[in-house]
Amino acid sequence: MSFDWKAFFEVMPQLLRAAVVTVEVSVLSLAFACLVAPPLAIARMIGPWPVRVLVGALVEVVRGIPPLVVIAFVYFALPAIGLVFDGFWTGVTALTVVGAVYAVEIVRSSIESLGRGQREAALALGFPLWRTYLELLLPQAMKRILPPLTNELANVIKASALLSVISVHEISQVGHSLIFETFVVVEIIIQMAILYLIIVGCLTVLSRALERRLAH
Amino acid sequence: MDPVFMLDVLARLLPPLGLTMALSLVALVLATPLGLGLGTLRTMLPDRHWGSWLLDAYVFFVRGTPILIQIFAVYFLLPAAGIRLPLFWMGVLALVFNSAGYQIEIGRAAINSVATAQWEAATALGFGRRQTLIDFIVPQAVRRMVGPVMNELSQLIKASSVLSIITLYELHKASEAIISASFRFVEVLIVEGFWYFSFVYALSLGAQLVEGRLSSAGGLAESR
Repeated sequence: MSFDWKAFFEVMPQLLRAAVVTVEVSVLSLAFACLVAPPLAIARMIGPWPVRVLVGALVEVVRGIPPLVVIAFVYFALPAIGLVFDGFWTGVTALTVVGAVYAVEIVRSSIESLGRGQREAALALGFPLWRTYLELLLPQAMKRILPPLTNELANVIKASALLSVISVHEISQVGHSLIFETFVVVEIIIQMAILYLIIVGCLTVLSRALERRLAH
Repeated sequence: MDPVFMLDVLARLLPPLGLTMALSLVALVLATPLGLGLGTLRTMLPDRHWGSWLLDAYVFFVRGTPILIQIFAVYFLLPAAGIRLPLFWMGVLALVFNSAGYQIEIGRAAINSVATAQWEAATALGFGRRQTLIDFIVPQAVRRMVGPVMNELSQLIKASSVLSIITLYELHKASEAIISASFRFVEVLIVEGFWYFSFVYALSLGAQLVEGRLSSAGGLAESR
């Protein structure tokens, strides 16, 4: 069994196009997840008790079930409540939910790991509670949030492979159907792996750079 | 919502839940000694050694690609190489391949987290490198591995759902089958989620208990 370079390059255009979809889905989900996570985390810490319980339950439940189940749920639930999205946006919604709940826990634990004095000082100076969290504690926690968050965002990129089950044309779905069309196995799997390694690698490099800037 | 139907599904999903449990537990039992052992070995090897290079490449691959790709690799590449395995063992193999990669990092981090003073003290007392590692460093590091390894088990349970794609009839595949036969996705997904959540949650409670025991069981002082 020798490596078939011809087949490797023949499937490349299709897999590259699929890689673009993977990047699009991931970037959108990551952006939305990072956007909703801090307010949800703060709501979980200092919101009125029904909000606290609700957000807490959501976070615990979604973290306790496989992403595949979340994807299935979003896939069936959105149309049931009248939101008809295509596969792409269904995927973005599902991955946003998955990414956001893990990010909420990261933000919360990072804020809680700050010294109590910060919070007490701000409250003593008359800052309202939510402004204390949003404007004083959250920025300080950023340094501690970033490394675990990067890890989690990498997980979201990897979870985007699961969107193949709701026929989003991303790397895994296209690669899988190419395997059955062409019966070229080794070359396609290696190429899929390389594409993911590059995408995840880019995220890691970006966040390292950001970490260095925050450190100064 | 139909409670009678849900109770029925609850019972019908029990055998697939058993398969999910078997897959993830067997995978953990195989992957933990392998991963932690290789991780410990990695701390002993110099960075330029070919073994380090190999282990780092393996970890890089496992952590940088989705588990779906690793499952495809096992599912398609093994038969292409002439190796035929029952579906269950293919699933276990994919999970072990994935989990061992993550556990190498757990083992390595735990060993490295033991204070250098421990090494220095043992060396000063005339112990060799290997004996220091086995008799002094590993016992201290093991306590720090327990939490992450239990967490890895929850990851394995969740990852095992992806094996539904290679038609392994585990909890998620079974739920999908019931959904497509009954079209009642809300009920089925809630029951499925309930099973996964209970399994994962029970484990994390158990893990906290074990960790508490280990840290309170005296003996070695926390060294930082």
